[in-house]
Amino acid sequence: MNSATVKRFIAVALAPSLILYSLFVFVPVIWSAYYSLFNWSGIGQAAFIGLQNYKELLSDSIFWHSLGNNVIFVLASVLGQVPLALLLAIILYKSNALQRFLRAAVFMPMVLSTVVIGLIWNYVYHPQIGILNFLLDALNLSALKMEWLSDPDIAIFSLIPPLIWSFVGLYLIIFISALQNIPGELDDAAKIDGAKGFTKLFKITLPMIWGTIQVALILCIAGSLKSFDLVYIMTRGGPAHATELLATYMYNATFSTFRYGYGSTISTAIVIISLLLIGTSQWLTSRRK
Amino acid sequence: MFKAAKLGLVGILIVVLLAACGSNSSSDGSTNQSTEKITLTIWNNWSGQDAKAVAMRKILEDFQSENPNITLEIEALATDGLKTRLRTAAAADEMPDLFVMWPGAMTKEFVQGDLLQPINEFLDQNAEWKNNFIENALVDFTVEDNIYSVPMNLAPSSLLYYNEDLFKQYNVKVPTTWDELLQAVDTFNANNIIPIALGNKANWVAQSTTFSTIGDRVTGTEWFLKAVDQNGASFTDPEFIEALKLYQELGEAKAYQEGFNSIDENQMLQLYTQGKAAMVINGGWAVAGLVNTASEEILNATNITILPTVDGGKGAAKTTAGVVGTGLGVNKKLSGAKKDAAMKLFYALAGPDGQKATLESSTLISYNLELDPSKANPLFIKLTELMKETKIVPVYDSKLSSAAVEAINNGLQELLLGGDPEDIAKRIQAAQAGAVN
Repeated sequence: MNSATVKRFIAVALAPSLILYSLFVFVPVIWSAYYSLFNWSGIGQAAFIGLQNYKELLSDSIFWHSLGNNVIFVLASVLGQVPLALLLAIILYKSNALQRFLRAAVFMPMVLSTVVIGLIWNYVYHPQIGILNFLLDALNLSALKMEWLSDPDIAIFSLIPPLIWSFVGLYLIIFISALQNIPGELDDAAKIDGAKGFTKLFKITLPMIWGTIQVALILCIAGSLKSFDLVYIMTRGGPAHATELLATYMYNATFSTFRYGYGSTISTAIVIISLLLIGTSQWLTSRRK
Repeated sequence: MFKAAKLGLVGILIVVLLAACGSNSSSDGSTNQSTEKITLTIWNNWSGQDAKAVAMRKILEDFQSENPNITLEIEALATDGLKTRLRTAAAADEMPDLFVMWPGAMTKEFVQGDLLQPINEFLDQNAEWKNNFIENALVDFTVEDNIYSVPMNLAPSSLLYYNEDLFKQYNVKVPTTWDELLQAVDTFNANNIIPIALGNKANWVAQSTTFSTIGDRVTGTEWFLKAVDQNGASFTDPEFIEALKLYQELGEAKAYQEGFNSIDENQMLQLYTQGKAAMVINGGWAVAGLVNTASEEILNATNITILPTVDGGKGAAKTTAGVVGTGLGVNKKLSGAKKDAAMKLFYALAGPDGQKATLESSTLISYNLELDPSKANPLFIKLTELMKETKIVPVYDSKLSSAAVEAINNGLQELLLGGDPEDIAKRIQAAQAGAVN
């Protein structure tokens, strides 16, 4: 096969998914950017108002607060999920019975629907019958008891453990498969050269799976930027917008206050912010190579 | 061996999938066979286990079996979900044939969007039915002399349910004034009983069940309607701020249990039905749920009254916030035989028989019908007696724009957490002004 036919084959093979992707991702993104220039309640006439929505967005304190919460979520995932998953993967990547059991246990929340996870953690944090407060009582730590989800100062942080817990399994699996792909010869070579423990980890293991870590970081950032379901189930963005994320705020603006135009403005802002963040993270990690 | 088992599994999956597809196509085929058949879509919020939802589902089932030529495609969603779904369908101009619709703001918007058809003619053909609705029942379904629906229930949204046993045990007077309410709160708190259960996670609860009435007590209805129209009154007026402060006072007195912003309406009722809370403030609709879920003991001890009066307030005393209940919207696009079928179903659900079934499911109606005391639950009899001497004033979320509703709902969460009443009032005012102008 010459290179032209190879190229054509690649084009034909990619076409179906590319068409689907543009139809269901690109087109809506562009439509939503278009709607963001209107004042529209969803019913009746939409009025063109230019960049008015964007002006409002920039001075909207709830929007900035939601963005701040999203940043907390991104940091918590990047600094919580990825290192934790990596650590677990390094401990659990061989396959004896205990390790298999632990792997399954860590992966388990991934199979649960977010609704279930949200409900479980709601009961953990429940103000009257919550397990967490009972546990603190039992440990004589009653002073640490809090209104986990209804105190606006701590509610957003209470959402982080369920967030990490629910996704760590995914990264664990990704890292384990990456670790298992490191050729055995490298191990032998390291042994001969006398590299052990941390030296081996930092000089061989991590560089070998750096590409995977990069992918995991991007998945992690993109995932936590669009997180919605967990917050919607657990707090609905409340109390008083304390746990509002960009996505929940967008949903509320569109479907609770019926400002489709403003909701579209928020979604367009989400797209821009995600591209910026992912671009930055790729730039940062690629320099390490 | 394993391989065979796997193959078997895959085979089963394929068969199941094919069967699922197959049943779809066969049902399509049957509708094509005869042109006489009519398919009606109806969206509703009768998805729960409360007596009202059960009664409505029964009517739909009976209608289906009595009219084999009409196929009902029923979609039952939770209330919040239905409201969102309707808006989305309205934006796409894909409304179902019939749908549960709220009076006031929503009806008006759908009419402006040219999505509904009036039912004046149908009402006039059934004059006896039309004239039997209570006074003003059709007002919130009327836009410019056209009537678009009739209420299928009556929803006072703000009633005080209290546990008489607990009041007797701690020697507390059932509050009729604001001071008595604060006193009751103190006494119950001192005895480790939750004074008032609240579940405000879906943030409409505090607004709809409590603050609408307190607001009316302080400001009076006239002021509120002016502020809604942004004509001669504004939400930054001192009387409204006073109402917010009064409500904040209740929060500061620890009237509600810990974490009230993180539990929902069902869990709120649970605190009451478990006997952990002495009072709960909820709409008349709660009776249909209580009679189905509360224990005999709690049910017998439960009594209902209106919220206490406020000294120096401008509002009338014997009132509760509320709204005539939901009706059915009729899709603009219906005509001919399909419209006839839809109106037949409309009459089955909202006509005299439907109203009777609703009343018998412990739900108040906006239709003149005597309650048969031998059939009704004692708690529901108490509710109907109470409503005979109580007038309904508008609940905030039936009149305000959706943006202002969202602002006040979030504002009240903040208020109860110690927010500044004046800031909150400013935000509500800005939202309503933005929507009206």
